[in-house]
Amino acid sequence: MAHPVQLGLQDATSPIMEELIAFHDHALMIVCLISFLVLYVLSSVLMTKLTNTNITDAQEMETIWTILPAIILILIALPSLRILYLTDEINNPSFTIKSIGHQWYWTYEYTDYGGLIFNSYMLPPLFLNPGDLRLLEVDNRVVLPIEAPVRMMITSQDVLHSWTIPTLGLKTDAVPGRLNQTTFTAMRPGVYYGQCSEICGANHSFMPIVAELIPLKIFEMGPVFTL
Amino acid sequence: MAVAPEPGEPAKGKLFKLLGIFGVENFPCARDSILYGSLGSVVAGFGHFFLLLLTSRIRSCDVGAGGFILVTLGCWFHCRYNYAKQRIQERIFREGMKNKILYESTHLDPERKQTKGNGSN
Repeated sequence: MAHPVQLGLQDATSPIMEELIAFHDHALMIVCLISFLVLYVLSSVLMTKLTNTNITDAQEMETIWTILPAIILILIALPSLRILYLTDEINNPSFTIKSIGHQWYWTYEYTDYGGLIFNSYMLPPLFLNPGDLRLLEVDNRVVLPIEAPVRMMITSQDVLHSWTIPTLGLKTDAVPGRLNQTTFTAMRPGVYYGQCSEICGANHSFMPIVAELIPLKIFEMGPVFTL
Repeated sequence: MAVAPEPGEPAKGKLFKLLGIFGVENFPCARDSILYGSLGSVVAGFGHFFLLLLTSRIRSCDVGAGGFILVTLGCWFHCRYNYAKQRIQERIFREGMKNKILYESTHLDPERKQTKGNGSN
């Protein structure tokens, strides 16, 4: 989860998020170097004592500052498109869960092996135990297996919401009247937090998502179905 | 990318932050690239200045800045390529170890399949 004064991305829990972090690092380095170049040129231009009022053309400079940005854009676009198509791959998910957004809670439906449906409300601060995270804990977490492709079907019953778990690299809009699909494979067990990412009313900040990822063997024993 | 230390763990040394905010040690290859870039910039700038017999300092600064950008980019791409290759190899190795442990002495043992293949050849 996020820690105080965090500037970067959270650690990755899925391979897609690892790729996204690598792309982020790549783009950030390019952008930082461009910024350095622009600042250097700006300071040179401001501090120079040279003046020439007879410049009429600068063919070489114009060629460079046309071709170089094109090359930079290609260097950024190729990995970006690769990740875009990677995220759209359908890898035969073994498990499907529906997530329905409401004002202001989430409903999860496990209908593959039975009809388990439950709501997930944020725990108010008065109900928190010592060590719990304020505005992030919920009464019922969504329990999922690791190392198995999972399909999430996301929709909403009223207004727009967005189901997000940053460490898994997931952010999918919950649109009323539409079913959006996202798939992921988690690599590590643990408890991962996210928050609604589409403005949806007064309590938009108070409908978090908590995913509890457990080993597949334990998941198959059915702890989630004993609710 | 950074992980805050757990309450029970001893506090680690304070991380160096470039310009006070960029924790370059958290990004793989960033620290090495920037250090090599700085070295390349100094070498290029001073080299241009002294080799051309103490001519324009401003032009040497330009060469130094250009050297920094090129060397940093070059080191960055080289290091990230190797890092990606290493990650893929680690993943294959981890899968192989897991399969070895899971399927040892069964008919699915990868080593058994390999030796059978060599024997039939």
